Amino acid sequence: MTGTRAGSDAASLLKAVRDRDPLAIARAITAIENRTAVGTELAVAVRGRASRCRTLGVTGPPGAGKSSLINALLPELLPRYRRVAILTVDPSSPISGGAVLGDRVRMAAHSANPDVFIRSLAARGHLGGVTRTTRSVMDLLAAADMDLVIVETVGTGQSEVEVANLTDVKIVVCAPGLGDEMQAMKAGVLEIADLLVVNKADLPDAARTATHLTAMLHHRGHEERRSMLSVSTQTRDGLKALGDAIDDRFAGLPAGPPDAAAGGGISRSTLAQDVADAAAALLLGTSDPRLTTIVEHMSQGKLSRHEGAKAALELLTDLDGPSEARIYS
Amino acid sequence: MPDTAPQPRVLLTKSFIDSHDRAIATIALALRDAAMEVVLIDYEQPEDVVTVALQEDVDIIGLSFMSGGQVETTQKIVAELQRREVPDLPVVVGGVIRPFDVAPLEAVGVREIFRGGAPLTDVVATFDRLARAYRSHV
Repeated sequence: MTGTRAGSDAASLLKAVRDRDPLAIARAITAIENRTAVGTELAVAVRGRASRCRTLGVTGPPGAGKSSLINALLPELLPRYRRVAILTVDPSSPISGGAVLGDRVRMAAHSANPDVFIRSLAARGHLGGVTRTTRSVMDLLAAADMDLVIVETVGTGQSEVEVANLTDVKIVVCAPGLGDEMQAMKAGVLEIADLLVVNKADLPDAARTATHLTAMLHHRGHEERRSMLSVSTQTRDGLKALGDAIDDRFAGLPAGPPDAAAGGGISRSTLAQDVADAAAALLLGTSDPRLTTIVEHMSQGKLSRHEGAKAALELLTDLDGPSEARIYS
Repeated sequence: MPDTAPQPRVLLTKSFIDSHDRAIATIALALRDAAMEVVLIDYEQPEDVVTVALQEDVDIIGLSFMSGGQVETTQKIVAELQRREVPDLPVVVGGVIRPFDVAPLEAVGVREIFRGGAPLTDVVATFDRLARAYRSHV
C-alpha cells in the first residue's frame, strides 16, 4: 500500500511529497487539515513557499461560475505553468459538520491529466472563504513542485476576503444581474480583486454588470490598479485575454518569495484569527461548569453577550494552563 | 461545527453519461448529514475514479449504476486500485444491480451492494464502518 511505502511519519511523507507522489501529497494534506501531530510537523517543515510557485485566488458569490471558469481557464494556464494544483473549498454543514464537495464535478475533463492535482476541502466551520489550514496546504503543494496553485473559495458574500492574504493574484468572479451601482460601490470582496471578471458574458445582463463595475473602477482614476474583463466559459470568449492578464499580474510581482516582505504573511490579524479559533476549540471542548453558568446567565439576560464573552475569556486562561516562559524569551 | 474529530471522506461517483443522479444525490445528502465529507464526480473513464480517490484521500468509494456497465466498470476500477497500490480501499456499489451482476461484483471484492429501497440508516452505517476500518490501518 502506498501509505506504507510513503511512510506515515512526517520525514518520509515529506520526501514522497517532494518526489511528487500523488497519494503522499493527498495524505499530507489530510494530516495538515486534521491538524494531527504529523500534519503540524509537515506544516512547519514546508512553511515559506518556494518563490517559483505562483498562487491565484478565485472568489465570488455562489453560482457565479468559479469552478467552471477555472475548468475553462486550465487549457490557457497549463502551457504557461506546467504543474497546476487547485484547492476548492466548500462549506461544511453547520448542523452535522459534514459536507458535499461538488466543485470538481465541473473539472472532470482534467481528472486524467497528471499535471493537474485537484483537492476538495471542507471549510469545517472556518469563516473567510478558505479553511483554517489553507496556507499550510499551499506551502505543501509548493514543496511538491507545483508551478501554480489556484485557490477557489467558498461561494462568498460581501466580506470573505481571507484569500487576499494567501494569494499573489486575486480574481473576483461576478455573475450578471446580481446588483447595481450601489453593490459595486460597497466595501468588501470587490476591493481585494486584481482582476474583476464578469462571467457568463453570453447572458443578456452581462453588459450592464460590466458597465457598473467599470464605472466603479473609473471613480479612482489613475490610482485604480484593478481591471475588469468579461468572459464566457460557454463560448470561450475572453479566456485567452484573462490568461494573459493573469500572466501580466504575475510578471508585475516583486521577485523572490512572495511572503518574504510581509513576514510570511503573519500579522496581528492572522494572530487574532488563530486566537479566535483556539478559543472556540477550548470553549467547545471543555466541560467546565462555570461555562455552563455563563451561557445560562446570558440566555436569562443576566449577562449581555459582550459581558458573557469577557467572562469566557477570563475563564480561558484557566483552562489553557499557565503559559511557558520560553514563548517570550 | 468547528473542531470535531475528523470524519470519513467519501467519493461518490457515476458515469458522466448517466444522467440519473437522484440516487447518488440522496446518498450524498444522507452521508453529509451523518457528518461525512462527500466528494462527487462524474467520471469519463473508470480509471479517473482512482486518480480522484487518491488526490482526495478518501476512505471509501461508492459507485452508482442506473443503466449499464455495472460489472465491467467496477472490474476496471478495482484493477486500477491494484495497479496504483491501494488494493484495500473499499468499494461499494449501488443502484440497478441485476441478479447476475452479484457474483462477478463479489468476485472482484466489492464490499457491499445497495439496491433501491435499502434503508438509508443501513447505507450510512456501512459507509461509516468500512471507511473507519480502512483509515485505522493506513
